[in-house]
Amino acid sequence: MARIELEGVTRQYDRVKAIDRLSLDIADNEFFVLFGPAGAGKTTTLKCIAGVEFPQEGLVKIDGKIVNLIEPQDRNVSMVFENYALYPHLSVYDNMAFPLRSKLYKKSEAEIKEAIDKISKLMRIDAYYERKPSQLSNGQRQRVAIGRCLVRNPNVFLMDEPLAHLDAKLKHTMRSELKEMQSAFNTTTIYVTHDYMEAMSLADRIAVLDKGHIRQLGTAREMYYTPGSEFVAKLFGEPEINIVPAEYRVENGKGIASVGSGISWEVPDDVRADIEKSGAKKIDVGVRGNDISFSFEGGEGWVGGTIYAFEPIGNKTIITAQLENAQYRIVAPNDVHASLDSAIYIKMNFDNVLYFNAETEQFITRHNREEILSLKKA
Amino acid sequence: MAVLKLEHIYKRYDNSEKKLFKKAKKNDFAVKDLSFECKDGEFIGILGPSGCGKSTTLRMIAGLEQITAGDMYIGDTRINDLLPKDRNIGLAFEDYALYPPLTVYDNLAFNMRAKNIPESEIKEAVERVAGLMKVDDLLEMKPLGLSGGQKQRVNIARALVRRPGLLLLDEPLSHLDGKMRQQLRYEIKRMHHEIKCTTIIVTHDQMEAMSLADRIAIMDFGCLQQIGTPLEVYDDPVNVFVAGFIGEPPMNLLRSAIKAVAGGYMFTFEGSELHVPVPERYNHVVKDGMAVTLGVRPVDVLIAGENEPSGTPIPVAIYEDLGDERRISVRVGENLLNLTTTDQVFYEAGDKITLRFNADKTHLFDIETGNRIRE
Repeated sequence: MARIELEGVTRQYDRVKAIDRLSLDIADNEFFVLFGPAGAGKTTTLKCIAGVEFPQEGLVKIDGKIVNLIEPQDRNVSMVFENYALYPHLSVYDNMAFPLRSKLYKKSEAEIKEAIDKISKLMRIDAYYERKPSQLSNGQRQRVAIGRCLVRNPNVFLMDEPLAHLDAKLKHTMRSELKEMQSAFNTTTIYVTHDYMEAMSLADRIAVLDKGHIRQLGTAREMYYTPGSEFVAKLFGEPEINIVPAEYRVENGKGIASVGSGISWEVPDDVRADIEKSGAKKIDVGVRGNDISFSFEGGEGWVGGTIYAFEPIGNKTIITAQLENAQYRIVAPNDVHASLDSAIYIKMNFDNVLYFNAETEQFITRHNREEILSLKKA
Repeated sequence: MAVLKLEHIYKRYDNSEKKLFKKAKKNDFAVKDLSFECKDGEFIGILGPSGCGKSTTLRMIAGLEQITAGDMYIGDTRINDLLPKDRNIGLAFEDYALYPPLTVYDNLAFNMRAKNIPESEIKEAVERVAGLMKVDDLLEMKPLGLSGGQKQRVNIARALVRRPGLLLLDEPLSHLDGKMRQQLRYEIKRMHHEIKCTTIIVTHDQMEAMSLADRIAIMDFGCLQQIGTPLEVYDDPVNVFVAGFIGEPPMNLLRSAIKAVAGGYMFTFEGSELHVPVPERYNHVVKDGMAVTLGVRPVDVLIAGENEPSGTPIPVAIYEDLGDERRISVRVGENLLNLTTTDQVFYEAGDKITLRFNADKTHLFDIETGNRIRE
């Protein structure tokens, strides 16, 4: 249990700054996710906290104490590796007891037993003490590896892409397993991933990293419903959000937004105020695939285009519609049929449109901002 | 354009011929009794886990592997003993194998120059395929300067340049990352839509097979498990393997004991309180105490409303809000039963919910053989 602070931390490899004056304040007991594409500096940040990399600039603090010069083993941090690194010749119990029996801790066997019993009950592995790692399922192995880290009651628990090497199917299950265990961690956890679903599912807060900088810091809902920039918007959600250039003008006292020649709508008052306040000259709008409805017949209020791509992927179909110069990915039910280049008509749910400044690609606003973010149990 | 027909194809890599067909063990054959037909202009996906025999099948079609037994036809010609070059096929592998010192244009023209085709004809053919695969801007570049996606497009264009009757693609997207993969998927599909060349793609990625192919042949242990349209294999799997392999997030497959109750049957699960009604249409194939594997997709597990027939309430183990959808899991013994919904619902771990299954989409499988039990 500890608060972790980074103050202006820079770690440079040759001329490349893996992280550049990065500052973070992670609260005690928080589950914090570092999320971003490859090369964003996620793992470097983690290593600086673990103490296996030393920053050239800036301070790393654990519970207010500067730890820049403290060796990893004295920081009381614990790290789970992608491949679990269990000792294959030791039983589950001995694997979990291993750190506590080491020179650093030298606990008595009775104390060890107590610590292991407590954790393994939470992890639901107390029935497998005698088994060897090879006799466990993947999920059980993960639980043992995590349990082994938790028995020594670390200040900080670090996880570097623990699910990255799993195939897509197993990943779903393991992520759920991890989510279920989370409440048992009872410690500050920092988790690195490039999978947006892991980030959204697990995090109390997410930091989106790119090229050594934090692009946005916030909750999963904030990332999804009010992304700070087009870059962040594109990272969350599948299929990727549609972002297209739009025009904004005031007509007869109403704020009108339009995309291409066919789609235009009156923006709600809250949006209008924000757009005008921002002083953006040009805007982009972002609309997610499940906020576009479609029809093959058209009619009043529908705008026509052609089908550029049609992909049935099981529980849904992703249709890419070509309208003038823009393409829109639309989420459709799995039982629709259509051939490429045939006609399609679309309609957007304008309430959920995100507005961006086209020059800076920064987020301006959306309708009902506060309500959307506070949406919880009815 | 061509029709490809496989009839009872076997392949075995160990060449001890006297043992053939006798004492054959489960894994003796890389491909076993494989029959299917690929119609003119059709796009077929061969899908399966590694080692299932899908690439071996493709290599036999290409003529790169001997066929141990069975017959293979393109149109009316039996091709078992034809040389690869006489089969009129185009082939593109995962690795691009472009000639690095040559420009894209020369790479595309290479095979035709080897055959002494006049330059004017070559130019026409190269321009045609370059347009198809959208590499017309790259003709002057060398492979070294191209991205992975561009290289693969050139590679496929080269396979198309001689107007093959049959185009074979072996994991063409495996080397590419997310975005480029999606883009090339579009391009391949559009290319096929334009020229309607009979095409076979081999892949281990079910998403890729679903989005590209007209029909998917699913293989495991060298055997064809099922062949059908993407919707057929998704909605109507013939066995547990297909059910588990197709779809993401995967289908819930749980061992269940059937229990008779007043007016019908219930699914019960070892180590769990959960009871869920068995759809009525199964009433004459199930009986009290029967063990089955229950298969139901996460989208077909529903939270029951107040006046609906349903079982016992069960606590939510996991609630995940993933933006596009919300995922809820409950513990059923050692396993998790997942449901996904696009509705804006919110739960906390421990909240009680009552579940029901979408009756039309609830599948039963034989616990021993894994085969589907139909009503």
